[in-house]
Amino acid sequence: MSITQKGAATQSQKLMIFVLSMSLYGLATLFTELIPSFQVGIVEFSVEFFLFIPLVLAMLFDPLSAALGAATGELVFSEIMLGQFGGLGELEKFITVTIGVYIAGRLVRNPKNRVMVGIAAFVGTGAQLLMGTIVDILKVQFAVTDFEAVAGLPESVFATEGFAFLNDLLLSGILFCLLPTLYLVPKLYGKIEPLLGMQPRTEETGLGEISVKNIIVCLVAFACAIGAEMMAESGLSLIDWEAGWAGSGTALAAGMIVAAVIAIALLFVMRKNAQPVSEAK
Amino acid sequence: MMQKLSENVLDKFSMDFLRNQVLKNAYGNDDTVIAVRDPRILLVWYLFFGLVPWFVNDLPFLLGCFLLVMVTTILAKVAGLVLLLFAVGVFSQTGYLLIATWIFGGDASAIAPLLVLTLKVATISLASVTVFSGLDPDRLSNGLMWFGCPERLSFSISYAYRMLPMLMEEFQNVLLSYRLRGNPPAHETVPGKIKYLIYQIKIIIHAFYPLMLNTAKRSRTTVEALEIKGYRYAAVNKEVRKMKLSSLKVTYDDLIFLAISFLWVAVTVLVSTLV
Repeated sequence: MSITQKGAATQSQKLMIFVLSMSLYGLATLFTELIPSFQVGIVEFSVEFFLFIPLVLAMLFDPLSAALGAATGELVFSEIMLGQFGGLGELEKFITVTIGVYIAGRLVRNPKNRVMVGIAAFVGTGAQLLMGTIVDILKVQFAVTDFEAVAGLPESVFATEGFAFLNDLLLSGILFCLLPTLYLVPKLYGKIEPLLGMQPRTEETGLGEISVKNIIVCLVAFACAIGAEMMAESGLSLIDWEAGWAGSGTALAAGMIVAAVIAIALLFVMRKNAQPVSEAK
Repeated sequence: MMQKLSENVLDKFSMDFLRNQVLKNAYGNDDTVIAVRDPRILLVWYLFFGLVPWFVNDLPFLLGCFLLVMVTTILAKVAGLVLLLFAVGVFSQTGYLLIATWIFGGDASAIAPLLVLTLKVATISLASVTVFSGLDPDRLSNGLMWFGCPERLSFSISYAYRMLPMLMEEFQNVLLSYRLRGNPPAHETVPGKIKYLIYQIKIIIHAFYPLMLNTAKRSRTTVEALEIKGYRYAAVNKEVRKMKLSSLKVTYDDLIFLAISFLWVAVTVLVSTLV
């Protein structure tokens, strides 16, 4: 046990936590990805069935590694592997999951304190869901989504989004985050840490209170998330592609075709010339 | 008895099926036209077809792009499960609106904007399916690394593809052993059915306890093995990066692939200006 340090984890232990959180949460989200999400208009019922996994890990280990690992796991396992990668829009989920899990992990100083574990699990989930709701409302406020079906009724957006938020918070917050976390944290505490060569987190070795700096970093990251989601959702308004083509459209297109045909012909010739050389080698 | 047997078979089928599909998706199609392309070329290609359709509302152009990515998806021989997910995803985003408009007596004018939106979503999803499922994971991560993505992301991709089938099997084994030892409540009546559902969820959550411990052990082994190879220093070392990326080579075939895509896009632009 001489290698184990007090307090913060070493770099390689952080990598272990990252890998652990990534594989577990990735596996879990792979299943949830197979369950189609309910969507009523713009309101999406996004129940995070398995958010308790990174929450538990963030409470027991280094929160930042666990949070980043979980977000990466979701991105890699369920988005990229299944070809569901949505480009820039995924950044929003990545950042909100990271912040939510990180906050929950920082709140818990002593995993033996059940009340605190419960509060942290609830707050973490709530933060993640709240950020998602804010992004959704802002999207409609700036009218970047083109669902005319609900347009002109901002109150209804607030109502439906608020309802979805409460529904998600109660369902996923209590059933799928609070209860499993309360069950798993005390059970794993003291058992899983030695497997990674670490000492269990106690009141003294905890990372301390959340500082103002942490909050500012979280807020900046959240602003990035909003920006990314806006960029992903905004359609034609940003760049007007058609206008450029409309002027000399046909001539330009014809030129492009000629250029492409010439390029293809050239490449075929070059390839034919190149092949004997590579065979001779 | 018979019902129980079929239930079990169905359960096993779905898990094994899932695992096979993922494996097939990752390693089953190394020899397709798409898989042997240079990953950097494919990523640039994806940047075009993943971004441009968002900004264009022109129906012929979108239709042309959609046809092209459909052809590349067929060429990539993507696993069936992924295509099914794609279909469900597109439907849940816009398809249901299409049907709703039909039911409530919408005419053709209402369908056209929806069709544009559906085409956009479908084109972008199919482009990502082509690139991210068609490519070998190692090649994909190398390509991402070349563009300066963090080493950790490319490591995660390679790791995920290798470990996922094993993790799935382990999860299934743990789950089955819990079921074997458990005594599920009778589920003939409605309250019984609810009780059964709660019981199932409880078992899944309980199953994560041993799974977490096992995975902790496994990730320690992984990291230790990586440390032996000097992973953490290699990840930031320029020399190592160069050696790793030296396997990437742009061939004439890659350029031809790009040029043909370009030709097709040019043709669709021409058509859209003529219409």
